[in-house]
Amino acid sequence: MNRRVLIAIAVLALAGALAFAARPHETTADDRVAQITAELRCPVCQGLSVKDSTSETARQMRDLVAQRVREGKTDAEIEAEFRAAYGDWIFLSPPLASWTGLVWLVPVAVLAAGLALVTGRLRSTGVPQPSAPSTTEVAALRERVAREEAAEG
Amino acid sequence: MLARVARILVVVAILGLVVTLALAFRRDPHDIRTGTVNKPAPAFTLQRLDGSGRVSLADYSGKVVVVNFFASWCLPCIQENPALVRVYERYRSSDVVILGINYQETRENGLAYVQRMGISWTSVADDDGRVALSYGVFGPPETFFIGPDGVIAGRHIGPIDEETLVTAIEKLRGQAATR
Repeated sequence: MNRRVLIAIAVLALAGALAFAARPHETTADDRVAQITAELRCPVCQGLSVKDSTSETARQMRDLVAQRVREGKTDAEIEAEFRAAYGDWIFLSPPLASWTGLVWLVPVAVLAAGLALVTGRLRSTGVPQPSAPSTTEVAALRERVAREEAAEG
Repeated sequence: MLARVARILVVVAILGLVVTLALAFRRDPHDIRTGTVNKPAPAFTLQRLDGSGRVSLADYSGKVVVVNFFASWCLPCIQENPALVRVYERYRSSDVVILGINYQETRENGLAYVQRMGISWTSVADDDGRVALSYGVFGPPETFFIGPDGVIAGRHIGPIDEETLVTAIEKLRGQAATR
């Protein structure tokens, strides 16, 4: 009984914690700046986001994003401003809407090609069927069965 | 049948990769045509480095404008400066304007550099880097060629030489003359 109560309390506590973590809460200006700069590529770094880079250029970009957020610009408007200056290159993830978005199709295409290759190979070779035993093998098996039955009495 | 299709797909993918790489390696790495090229030059108004007033891009409307982003800490900027000086002297009494934009440094250092390097053309200070960001600058030196129509016709990343400068300027002057 006690164990059941304990399990129920634990499940309720877990559900409560999950609900609390997933509760809808208002995104602050700092959250928005962090989200936008995490998606922007630092122009003077190697594969770093503007959020993570300590370079002067990244700092200036963070300041610009923060100012635009304070001015009430939407995320899309802020991203469009950087796209106008640097092109889609400025985004760490290629946008789906542009031709660079085709890169997202590459894993799917490779997987499909691999599946097609394996399926084709299996079909062409076929599943190996066991061959029927020869007369000699059948005779030997019968002799063995008879021997074992005789031994068991 | 499926295996054959897969094989063809692999061959097509490899061919596509080879063609893409071949085209990419043929491009001049100094001429990256992203963002602002072939678009109207972003407008700006900046303080002169010596503090003697403000300069707007609109002040040079109808002229060929060579915008050069530079900094004293940038060694390639020092390397390209003699070419810029010669080109400035060549076009100083014409419809061609060279405008230097000092980038990511204090005005004192920028002004000292300008005086030390014999730079006579107008130099302005992009204190917060906003103009550089609006032009899509990666880092100095970078040079943009703006036509009389106010459109960025070309951009050069890295140190520029006299021939590249003159070729780009003459192309824009030629276009202006035929308009």
